Amino acid sequence: MTPREPRGQPEQGRGLKAVYALYPDGASAQQAVNRLRALGLQDRDITVVSAQPMEDYEFGHIGKKTYMWWIACLGGLIGMATAFGLAYLAEYSWAINVGGLPIWAWWPNLIIIFELTMLGAIAATVITLVVTALIPERGRGFLYDPEVTTEGQVLVGVENPAQDRVSSFERELSAPPGARLKTL
Amino acid sequence: MSHPTGAEMNRDLLHPLFNTSWRFWLLVAVFGGVVLFGAVSWATQLWLGFGIAGLNWPVYWAFYVTNFVFWIGISHAGTLISAILRLVNAGWRRPVTRCAEVITVFALMIGAMFPIIHLGRPWLAFWLFPYPSERLIWPNFRSPLVWDFFAINTYLTGSLLFLYLPIIPDFAAVRDKATGLRRRIYGALALGWRGTPKQWHRLETAMSIMAVAIIPVAVSVHTIVSFDFSMAPVPMWNTTIFGPYFVAGAIFSGIAGLLLAMAVLRRFLHLEAYLHPVHFENLGKLLLVMALLWGYFVFNERLVTYYANEPAEMAVFWSTQSGAFAPLYWTMVIGNFVLPLILMGIRRFRTITGCVIASIGVIVGMWLERFLIIVPGLSQKYLPYSFGSYRPQPVEIVITTATFAGMALLYVLFAKVVPIISIWELKAGEHPSPSLIPPATEEHRLGDLHL
Amino acid sequence: MPRWGMAADLDRCTGCGGCVVACHAENNISTVGDDQASRGRAKHWIRVERYYEGEFPDVRVKFRPVMCQQCDNAPCEPVCPTYASHHTDDGLNAQVYNRCIGTRYCANACPYNVRFFDFFNPSWEKPLHLQLNPDVSLREVGVMEKCTFCVQRIKSAQIGAKAGQREVRDGEIQPACVQGCPSKALVFGDLEDPESEVSRLSRSPRGTKLLEDLGTKPKVAYLARVSQT
Repeated sequence: MTPREPRGQPEQGRGLKAVYALYPDGASAQQAVNRLRALGLQDRDITVVSAQPMEDYEFGHIGKKTYMWWIACLGGLIGMATAFGLAYLAEYSWAINVGGLPIWAWWPNLIIIFELTMLGAIAATVITLVVTALIPERGRGFLYDPEVTTEGQVLVGVENPAQDRVSSFERELSAPPGARLKTL
Repeated sequence: MSHPTGAEMNRDLLHPLFNTSWRFWLLVAVFGGVVLFGAVSWATQLWLGFGIAGLNWPVYWAFYVTNFVFWIGISHAGTLISAILRLVNAGWRRPVTRCAEVITVFALMIGAMFPIIHLGRPWLAFWLFPYPSERLIWPNFRSPLVWDFFAINTYLTGSLLFLYLPIIPDFAAVRDKATGLRRRIYGALALGWRGTPKQWHRLETAMSIMAVAIIPVAVSVHTIVSFDFSMAPVPMWNTTIFGPYFVAGAIFSGIAGLLLAMAVLRRFLHLEAYLHPVHFENLGKLLLVMALLWGYFVFNERLVTYYANEPAEMAVFWSTQSGAFAPLYWTMVIGNFVLPLILMGIRRFRTITGCVIASIGVIVGMWLERFLIIVPGLSQKYLPYSFGSYRPQPVEIVITTATFAGMALLYVLFAKVVPIISIWELKAGEHPSPSLIPPATEEHRLGDLHL
Repeated sequence: MPRWGMAADLDRCTGCGGCVVACHAENNISTVGDDQASRGRAKHWIRVERYYEGEFPDVRVKFRPVMCQQCDNAPCEPVCPTYASHHTDDGLNAQVYNRCIGTRYCANACPYNVRFFDFFNPSWEKPLHLQLNPDVSLREVGVMEKCTFCVQRIKSAQIGAKAGQREVRDGEIQPACVQGCPSKALVFGDLEDPESEVSRLSRSPRGTKLLEDLGTKPKVAYLARVSQT
């Protein structure tokens, strides 16, 4: 077991924003996650950070459920409606005869309707990504260590830990091989 | 072959961002100079009048529209490689995707400039944007040029996002290694990325959705560009084959552009451990397939024209095959068909050098193909009294050259500020989802072969 | 609603080019100079197409004055992104200079090659500027221009007729080319009026339309030469 780094706080647990450990590979990180779950923590209270998606481990699948595909379809529908409205407005506000084509010509308009539909789907996808993944909730989603990318470590930890449970977290986080415990 | 470790990947792929040699500044100066020359040329055209270009009655489209179609075609590289290979879980795409996506974005930006450069009154180009104007008039949605506007803007937006989203984790990697102002800039660009499983999932889902969305958009973009020609009653233009023909040609030239970019990067950034000969071979095989497809489309187009024996079309037909445009035509056939078939079809020649030669041939050939679609048809329409000819003037040649320099410049600058190979995607290949490797094949995984 | 059309009797046309000069004068079309003309920049809204047939000494020359055919199914109209080229209610293909951004797509789409691009700002050496027609706007560099059937004369006649509380008489409107033709080869009028001269000539058995098989529905009827020797 690697030695723990000395803690700077004089009082155990008070004022700690987070407690976490860095692991050299996914197997150790998986052990840490399982141990934290055994303590009764929910998945949404456990923070895992890695430099790449690690789908060969179970922890890589936390928080997987998303409605993004449906939202993309919705965005596409909005785009389609916008295109219809725009084409109608553009062609009927001052109906101009060109080359004998009808004022509302389905075949040409379908092109613009298609493009704006796809644009709507793309925009909806990106907005969903930004809103659900990139904007952190208040007071949470801050736990990070640069060694995740510079040293290729996997971070497992708890944000805003209950003061009386910090020592048990520290014990469980230090158990897997290669653990380096840190606090914030 | 030993596989680079995570730390080695970070070091190698972030190296250009943190170390700059005099060669970089030289490249920027040279390419930047040519681009500046091109900008000055265009300014001259605006100042002195459009007449300093070589266009005339009846050849009203020539170099500028050729460049437009050519660069939009090159932009199909990223889509094919990145989106399609991503959707079919082809792991060998991992080192290649960002190179390809970058080509797409920059080629689109360059190509999208040409509809403005070729306008008689470019300062009014914004009239193509549908806004409620005080003139009470909207753009004509029945015009292929307005379709172009919508399609290219959609594709550009989609490609930019498709490029930017997977860079976010790499921006985070640079942020973590950098200090000072650079750290703050990259931190802002990384949009607060951490790397939780939820974020990875959202990112990968977003990429999958966008890959599914961007493929039809890419197909539609070059089809709509082809509609610029097929909607006009010009001999050999008004044909239904142009849609698929142009898309196939675009993918073809895109792969060639990608091969060139990869070869150059491999040499200049010392990425031999990441861009293996097998990557070039795989793309080379795709180039071969596209060359055959291109030949198939050309054969279709010409046989049907020949068989109909319609006088106006045959005049254009013969002018390309044995008339004034014959040298260009046969150069195109050699560059697009003969050379790729030999170099990519024979395994001995399917080396990196072979790929580079074939790609250069294809790029030259595809540029000529665009030119030969546009100018011979316009030179000889229906009334022989109004037949004409075209000769490019210096302003057009300079601007064309400047776009190639511009592409190179943008690429050099990009490789300097963003890791050109996606670090996290390379590393992710070592942690594949169980669904990708069914248990039955688990034992047969070849030792070092990482997805 | 009138439908304006023309008839050109090729039996009467001598290829003199008077129509071309008259058109230039009426519509403020600048000459471009010999250098630019040799590079194909001349803007002859109406031109006399001249074809030689046969070998010397049995050469036959054919003339055909070609101007904008004001097609009912004009290929130049749907392709213009800014509606600069569009169809009016009286059957004319209108070119709105102010809307034109110079994509030149309409010129490519026109099978008759009757659309012209202003490659440079036009200029008239003094005192030729005094000759400009105030009824016709000048076109700046970068816009397309073409024959309008002298729409300024059409409008002027219509206004005059309205003021006189009468209909426009057949033959009252004469575009510059019609007026300037010494052999009266060109005739202009209302195709909706079955009694007008142009309708009569359009129904002539000698009449054909130019490139009719393309489906553009042009409105200029060309009456074939009676004697071909």
